[in-house]
Amino acid sequence: MKLNTVFDNTKNTIMRLPELTKGFLKRSLVGYYFSAPRPREALILTKYWIMNWAAILYWIGQSIVKLGPIGFTRALIKHPWILILLRVNGLSNRVARDKTGVYHDTLCMTVHTVALGVINELRNMLFDAENLVIFEDLVPYDIARGMGLNCYMLELWGIVLPLLVSDASLQYIDEAENSGMNPDACSLPKATVGMVIKGQTPKGIAMVSSNLPCDAGAASYAFIQRAYGNIPTYRLDTPYNFYNERAEQLFAKDVMGMINFLEEHTPNRMDWDRMRKIFEGRNRMLELEMELWEMSRVKPTPLAGAAVWLSHLWHFNVSAGNPTSIRHYEKLVKMARKNLENNIPATKNERYRAILWNPPFLHFSDIFNWAESTYGVVLINDSMTYNHHEPIDTTSPETMIKSWGKTIMQGPMVRHTRGPAENYLDDIFRMVKQFDLDMVWVSNHLGCKGGQAMNGILREQCRAKGIPLLILDYDLSDERIVSHDNMIRQAEFFMENVMKAKRIDQ
Amino acid sequence: MTKKYFGGCDVGSTTGKAVILDENGNMVASMIVPSEIDPEVTSIQALEKACAQVPDLGGYKNLAYLVGTGYGRNEVAFANENISEISCHAMGTFFCSPTIKTIVDIGGQDVKTISIDNDGAVLEFAMNDKCAAGTGRFFEAMSRIFRMDLDEFSSLSLKAKKVIPVTAQCSVFAESEVISLLARRNPPEDIAAGIQMAVSKRCFTLLKRIGIRPEVTVTGGCAKNKGLMKALAKVINIEVTPLAVDPQIIGALGAAVFARRRQ
Repeated sequence: MKLNTVFDNTKNTIMRLPELTKGFLKRSLVGYYFSAPRPREALILTKYWIMNWAAILYWIGQSIVKLGPIGFTRALIKHPWILILLRVNGLSNRVARDKTGVYHDTLCMTVHTVALGVINELRNMLFDAENLVIFEDLVPYDIARGMGLNCYMLELWGIVLPLLVSDASLQYIDEAENSGMNPDACSLPKATVGMVIKGQTPKGIAMVSSNLPCDAGAASYAFIQRAYGNIPTYRLDTPYNFYNERAEQLFAKDVMGMINFLEEHTPNRMDWDRMRKIFEGRNRMLELEMELWEMSRVKPTPLAGAAVWLSHLWHFNVSAGNPTSIRHYEKLVKMARKNLENNIPATKNERYRAILWNPPFLHFSDIFNWAESTYGVVLINDSMTYNHHEPIDTTSPETMIKSWGKTIMQGPMVRHTRGPAENYLDDIFRMVKQFDLDMVWVSNHLGCKGGQAMNGILREQCRAKGIPLLILDYDLSDERIVSHDNMIRQAEFFMENVMKAKRIDQ
Repeated sequence: MTKKYFGGCDVGSTTGKAVILDENGNMVASMIVPSEIDPEVTSIQALEKACAQVPDLGGYKNLAYLVGTGYGRNEVAFANENISEISCHAMGTFFCSPTIKTIVDIGGQDVKTISIDNDGAVLEFAMNDKCAAGTGRFFEAMSRIFRMDLDEFSSLSLKAKKVIPVTAQCSVFAESEVISLLARRNPPEDIAAGIQMAVSKRCFTLLKRIGIRPEVTVTGGCAKNKGLMKALAKVINIEVTPLAVDPQIIGALGAAVFARRRQ
C-alpha cells in the first residue's frame, strides 16, 4: 500500500471519528449508561453484559484447551462468522433500550439464554465435528437428542447473524446467487447455501431435510447436497393436507423412517426414556407458554416484544425440553406474573396491541422498539410463536412419534404455507380475538411467494372485519431490498394515515 | 382582511403546489412552481404566488391555518401542521368528488395507490418508491428521447395503431430499449403507446395490492398525461373519473381542506 493511501485512510478515519464515536456510544454499554432510564436498568444490563462475556471467554478458553491455539485459530479462519457472534451484547442493548423494570430484565435475560445456547451450538460444531448430524431448521432436533446425537442446524446462522449485525448475511446471499441459485428465492436458504458453498459450515455424517416450509427451502438442499458430496440424506415429506388421521399416520411412519435412517448412519440408538424426558420437558414449556399468553391477554400486557418471540424462536426450535429452556420459561412466567399482580404494564406506552405475521424482521429486529416508543405499538405475539399444538402424548413410543409429528406438520410457517387459505387466516383472526388486538402487521417478505399470494385474501378479510392491516415490505435477511428507513416510512405512513395515530415521542 | 383564509402547501420532488381556501371552502387561489433544492424555498415561492392572487390576504403569514404536505413537508417550518401526502390526496379527492374510492397518485418520484372510505379517510395504501420507473421522472426521460415536451409526448400514443411492448421494470433499461426501438424505425406513437401501457401495468399491480373499488381517479402531475389515462383505463377495465380541479394540486387542496377543518 502506498504511503499516501495510508495517509488518506488515516485522515478519513480521523475525519469520521465523531461519527464513529457517536455510533459506538449508541451501541455500547457506555452509550447505554447515558440513555438508561434509571440506574437500576444500567446495573441489570451490566450484569448480563458481564455474564455474556464470561460465557464467551469461558468458551474461548475451553476451545483453546480442546483444539489447541492453532486449532482454534484455524476454526476461526474457517468459520469467520463466529466473530460476529461476539457482538451479542449489542442485541441486548438494542432490544432493551428505553425499557424499564421487569420488561427490561426479561429482554436481557432472553438474549443471555440465546447467547448461552449459541455457545452450546458452537461447542457441538467444533468439539465433536466428526459426529455431527445436520438438521434443517423446521425439523427440530428433539428426536436426534433422544438418540444422543450431536446436531447442527444448518439455517441457524442465517437467522442469528442478521439479528446481531444487519448486513451479516449479504456475502452469503451473493455467493449463493453467483453459484446459480435463483435471486428471487427466499434469502434465508440463499444465505445458508452461500455459507455451505463458501465452506464455512461443518459437513456432518448424515443430513435430515424436509419439504418444509417452501420450495426455496426444499430446493436449497439440492445445492447443499451437491456441495457436501455424498452425504447420506433423509428427506421428511410432509403431507399437503394434514389435518386428518391418515396424514398423521403417514407422517409418523416417515418420522420412524428418519429414526431408522439415523440409526443406520450413526453409531447411536434411540433411547425412548430419554426421548420421553425431552418431550415431557417440551410439554412443560408449552404449559408455561400458554400461561404467558394468558397473561398477555390483559390490557396493558405485563410482558411483550422480544421477550416473547425471541424466547420461543430459540427455546422451542433449538432446545425444546432442555432443562435450561424450561428454567428460562419458568423465570419468564414468574416475572410476568409479578408485573401482573402488581398491575405494572410491560410498558407505560401501550396504545395499540399488534401481532406480527410471517417471519420476524431479522435484520431490523428492533423495529418494534421504534414502534413502541414512537406510537405505543406493542408486539403481543407473532406467527412463529403461535404454535398452538396439543401436548405430546408420552404414553408409548408410537404416541410420542405421532404427536411430535403433528407438532411439526401443524407448526408455524408449515401450516401457514400449505393447505387451504383458512390455515393462514384462521390463526390471525383467532389471535386478534384472543389478544384483543388493534392491528395486524404482516412482514411481507418479498422472497416468500406463498406469503405474497395470501396478502390479497387477507386484505379483503381484514377490511370486512374492520381490522387495520399493515403489509410491510421487507426482505428476511437482505436489507438492500428494503432499507430500514423505508420500513420505518411504511410503518409511519400506516400509523399516520390509517390509524390516525399521534406520535408519543414528540 | 375581513375573511379568513386557509392554506395547503404540497412540497413535491419536482413541483411545489399551494392552494388557498376561503372560510366557505371555495378555492380562491392555486399555484404550481418548479421545486428548488431547498423545500422551504419551494413552499415560500408557491405560497407567495398563490397568496398574490387573493388581494385582501396580504401574504401567506396572514393565513388562518396552514398545512404542509408532500415529501418536503417537514421543512415547511412555518406551517401550523404537517400531514402525510397520502391523507391529503385522499381528502383532496374526497373534497372534489366524494364518490371516488380508489386513487392512483403518480408523482414526480413515486407512485401510490390509496383506498378511501365514505368519509375520505384512508383505508389502505400501497406505494412504489424504490425506483423511478412509472413516475414523472420516467416520463420526463422518455419525452427527452422523443425530443418532445411532456404535453406533446402525453398525446403521442393516442395516434398509435398498435402497442409495441416496452419494459417498465427499470427506467434505465426502458430508456435504452426505447432508443433501440426508435433506431429500428418503429413508429414513435406505437412505442409511446408501449411506454404508457407498461406504466399502466405497474399502476395496476400496485392497485391490486389495495383492491380496485370504483370510482377510480388519478392524481399528481402525471394525471395530465392523456395517453397514460387511456392506457390505464384499458388495463384496469374501469373508466378513470376525471377531477373537476387540476389533478396536480389535489395534495395541496387536501392539505387546505384539513387546514379549514382545524378551525
